[in-house]
Amino acid sequence: MIEAVISILIGALTAMVPLVLTSVGATVSERAGVVNIGYEGIILMSAFFGAIFAEITGNPWIGLIGGAFVGMLLGMLHGFITVYLKGDHVIPGIGVNLLALGVVAFGITAYWGTAGQHQVPTNVRVAPIINTPYGSLSPMVLITIAIAILTHWVLFRTPLGLRIRAVGENPEAADALGINVERYRFLATVYGAMLAGLGGAFMSVDWLGTVTKQLSAGRGFIALANMVFSGWNPLRALLGGFIFGFFDNLSVWVRTNPEIQRIVPWQFVATLPYLVTLIIVAGIIGKVRPPKADGKPYKRE
Amino acid sequence: MEEVPIIEMKGIVKVYPDGTKALKGVDFSVKKGEIHGLLGENGAGKTTLMKILSGMLHPTGGKIFVNGKEVRFKSPADALANGIGMVHQHFTLVDVFDGLHNIILGMEGHGLFSKIDVEKAKEKLQKLMDELNFQVPLDVPVEKLPVGVQQRIEILKTLYRDVDVLILDEPTAVLTPIEVKELFEVLRKLKSQGKTIIFISHKLREVMEITDRVTVLRKGELIGTVNTRETTPKELAKMMVGREVVLKIEKPPKEAGKPVLEVKDLWVKGDRGEDAVKGLTFEVRAGEIFGIAGVEGNGQTELIEAISGLRKVEKGKVILNGKDITGRPPRELYDLGMAHIPEDRIHMGLVIEMSVAENSILGLHWRKAFRGPLGLIRWDKVKEHAAKLVRDFEVSVPSIEAPAKSLSGGNQQKLIVAREVSKEPEFIIASQPTRGVDVASTEYIRNYLIKLRNENKAVLLVSADLDEVLQLSDRMAIIYEGKFVGIVKPEEVTEEQIGLMMGGIKNES
Repeated sequence: MIEAVISILIGALTAMVPLVLTSVGATVSERAGVVNIGYEGIILMSAFFGAIFAEITGNPWIGLIGGAFVGMLLGMLHGFITVYLKGDHVIPGIGVNLLALGVVAFGITAYWGTAGQHQVPTNVRVAPIINTPYGSLSPMVLITIAIAILTHWVLFRTPLGLRIRAVGENPEAADALGINVERYRFLATVYGAMLAGLGGAFMSVDWLGTVTKQLSAGRGFIALANMVFSGWNPLRALLGGFIFGFFDNLSVWVRTNPEIQRIVPWQFVATLPYLVTLIIVAGIIGKVRPPKADGKPYKRE
Repeated sequence: MEEVPIIEMKGIVKVYPDGTKALKGVDFSVKKGEIHGLLGENGAGKTTLMKILSGMLHPTGGKIFVNGKEVRFKSPADALANGIGMVHQHFTLVDVFDGLHNIILGMEGHGLFSKIDVEKAKEKLQKLMDELNFQVPLDVPVEKLPVGVQQRIEILKTLYRDVDVLILDEPTAVLTPIEVKELFEVLRKLKSQGKTIIFISHKLREVMEITDRVTVLRKGELIGTVNTRETTPKELAKMMVGREVVLKIEKPPKEAGKPVLEVKDLWVKGDRGEDAVKGLTFEVRAGEIFGIAGVEGNGQTELIEAISGLRKVEKGKVILNGKDITGRPPRELYDLGMAHIPEDRIHMGLVIEMSVAENSILGLHWRKAFRGPLGLIRWDKVKEHAAKLVRDFEVSVPSIEAPAKSLSGGNQQKLIVAREVSKEPEFIIASQPTRGVDVASTEYIRNYLIKLRNENKAVLLVSADLDEVLQLSDRMAIIYEGKFVGIVKPEEVTEEQIGLMMGGIKNES
């Protein structure tokens, strides 16, 4: 029993990585006032390209950095459209999501010559730093926790964070004080997409070691939901991501355990991650208010 | 030798992207250390000129000199760097931040990634406040503070940046008379410290009281600059409007009839869930104008929205002509004889992109008169109706097919009044009916409200313009924080008494 719990906890820490990274990134982006629903596509594309980078260089860390870089490029595209061209915030995200489906489905066949799925060789996957009989932990878990804490600190303690929050709450006020609204919004958007990209690459070159066109499996959207439940707060997003990961793993464990299945149908347990995350995180924080200028383009005249 | 003016603007032209010519070559010069009034009607270009000086807007043409040196501001940051700061009419505060963080935003200290030194900032601000002899709470989210305090935070914000020139855009619009006095004390103090202040206003009395010199703008043009001591309110008014202004309002005495609207112990919540209207009880009778005076944001908006069916009533009753209409939808209220001139003509009164004709039947469009077979709109009748309104109310329009946004503010407002009156109501709500309206239209609208009263209609007037309420009302209530401080007859009170009541202080008498 203890073994099962430990193994589920370890699994949860691993499963939370892409969710937490994306939620934290989305939090920064929306705190600055830029909505991006394209994280699903960013995760998928970064997973694909991250695997390619890793295989070409033979170094999984280059794969991770490359994935983050692909996220940055997509973030720059989104930022350019929404921040500088004052475009709609939702449509470009839909575009990226659709684009990713096409690019990755085609890319897997075109690059590796396999249909629909590619297995990343073990030698270019990130090696775990902690090994236990019940599972192993990737260094990315620690990096993710550090990123969440650091982002939280920057957002709420430093001038940079104050300015990011100001341009997302009241861009006129920030502008009147000589803060370059567009610059901070753009940078926050790129940062958000970069974290999602890192999360995507983690899935292919670390955690799952595979690339499929269903790899992201809604994580980009779940991360957005987690961001809202967490009240646009990176530390709570870390907690929310962990809770989700825990119940996600629990449901997998139940599915593979016929004795428990006799008592509880696994389909019920499979709904738990969504239910519990919602109840716990929403329950802790109650009603939250999104940044006031979230999703609103800012034009001076 | 003449002293170099601290600010000199030459031949400033501003054409907005939509083609509106807001400024047509304005010269403006301010001496160091003076309080300089910038006077003009709404739409005269005062705010546009100052937004250009503070770097918010780029001029289409013209030059700006600071201390004799030509400058070009790309953004407010450039203006601040040159010692020019502006307090906008609509405050630019981040609601959820406390005063301290609002003030230090953009000037937090060294390094974007270093920890903000809150204590140091607090010290500097405390010193500033001590010098000016006022205090504001620095650690409360500004949305929880009254507007007068928010304004002080705005002023501190510019002073924290060591500005030499402080621009205040209609700073008294949201203040009670007592707060205005306190503000003026602060301004005098700043002047004694050598700061230069530009005071934008359309209120003659205030300009006469506080300024050293006054520049008057009209329709985007410079009319002139005069020394305050050498002018009179009458002369300024004439410069401002372009003709002698005597607002001619004739109000014959009249006995009020039976109650048309009765409000009983009404409770209404505001947008943030707070109690905005706290148990109001009053009635508006036939042939009477019942005025509500008070500083904006004391529950007036919520009260009107509750009466007109736009906001939920938490508790209490609204009765129209003996019929309980609490919580009934607006359409039913129109059919029962209510009309509503809303406070915000752009967003509530008109659909600004639609034509004058289309706007003229909003709220009337379901009436049989405008409906043909299959319920389609009969545009011939609509146009007839619109043409009649425009004629009867002297609304100046390019054509009835023109979009409502092509009309001046005064004509937009007249169009709304015309439409609402064409509903043949027995009870009319007039909320801020002359806000941002030119003098001629103001006179027209005020006289029309009196005409309605003389025709035995019941009128509920809500206005932040105290003079308007005093002039038009038969009875008036003063609202403060969702309650009436008192209900009085305008001729029986002094303005000082009302000023105190607007600040929530009840008269001892």
